[in-house]
Amino acid sequence: MSAPAPGRQRSLGASLLDQVLAETLDPAYAQAAAARAAQRAPGGGQPPAPPGWLRRSRGQLLVALTLLVVGLLAAVTYREAAAGAQGREQARLSLREDVTVESETTDGLVAQLEDLTGQVTRAREEALAASAVGQRALDQLAEAELAAAVSAVSGPGLRVTLGNAAPSADSDPVGGSAEVSGPGVVQDGDLQLVVNALWASGAEAISINGQRLGATTPIRQAGKAILVDSRPVTSPYEVSAIGDPDDLSNRLVATPEATLLATLTTDYGVVFDYAEVDDLDLPAGTAAELEFARPLDPAAAAGTSAGADTGVPADQSTDGG
Amino acid sequence: MIPIIGLAVGVVLGLLLDPSVPLGLQPYLPIAVVAALDAVFGGIRARFDGIFDAKVFVVSFVSNVVVAALIVFLGDQLGVGAQLSTAVVVVLGIRIFGNAAAIRRHLFRA
Repeated sequence: MSAPAPGRQRSLGASLLDQVLAETLDPAYAQAAAARAAQRAPGGGQPPAPPGWLRRSRGQLLVALTLLVVGLLAAVTYREAAAGAQGREQARLSLREDVTVESETTDGLVAQLEDLTGQVTRAREEALAASAVGQRALDQLAEAELAAAVSAVSGPGLRVTLGNAAPSADSDPVGGSAEVSGPGVVQDGDLQLVVNALWASGAEAISINGQRLGATTPIRQAGKAILVDSRPVTSPYEVSAIGDPDDLSNRLVATPEATLLATLTTDYGVVFDYAEVDDLDLPAGTAAELEFARPLDPAAAAGTSAGADTGVPADQSTDGG
Repeated sequence: MIPIIGLAVGVVLGLLLDPSVPLGLQPYLPIAVVAALDAVFGGIRARFDGIFDAKVFVVSFVSNVVVAALIVFLGDQLGVGAQLSTAVVVVLGIRIFGNAAAIRRHLFRA
């Protein structure tokens, strides 16, 4: 696809690309030069022309003016582009500030809520502890709260860590993001598998990254973020389970969920690890608002709760999104 | 020499004055700059070839800028703005490279 030599007759089938590549200089220059040459030749008529220097400086002035416009255009375009980038950055920063401020407000309100809840609990205990009936009610309440995961607990147990795969060696940390995507990312289903396996292995209380799991706590994924109890948690995910450490770890490894997660580790590099811990502190979870569930007949309830283990029922499953 | 001074003055003026461009014209500024670059490179090459003409230079500059902006504007109205803009930039880029290569040949005899 070489350009035809200048002067050779261009064939009718010459491609558009050939033409574009060959004629990069405006042919008007050559024509003007030819016209000037024809004018200067003795054959052409010679109209009185302005002296050479005047024409030349007028030409130079025109050219200078044009280049001035070019410089103006370039500078203005650069300015516009820079201002656009600046504006976007400003918008992003102000949004980030808004998010921070609102988060602080929420944290303050949460602290206030905890404070008031503590006051209510203390007042209730004082009022009920006075009588024997009240004391029994308090004990039942304590057991119920333990089972419903609304009281903070501590004890020995297992800490299982799930994490996103490390970014591959050839991902670009300078230009692109170092985040991994695709099968190496932990999804809500994986977390649900771990939690189910722990419950089935005899865990008594479970929390994920400081969010306690109760009877109706959802683990779901919204876009790229995993939400536990509607609060976002990020990788690495620490699932803390209270129970007999040896028993928990032995039974956990034997579950099919653990096998599945081990496959994820070998195939995609997802981090799946566990360690026995001597003391874990799990915070209280939020109580679910019960609209339709009603408590059983108190006598029957007392009979069942007195003999029941505070362990978790074997069929407890975590709600998935 | 004078043309170069003109260019420098233009750049300085643009940076200092910071004129605000009407919102409607803003998307066409980059295309206009590329078209202007094409005219400038064509002028420099013509200068090296010895066939420079001021009138041709000015007319080519103005027509380049106007036609390029017009084509992109038309493309925007028809809904193929991005594609036409790409086409204009490609063609202008080829011309700029062709002229730059010719200038290089003149400058370095290589």
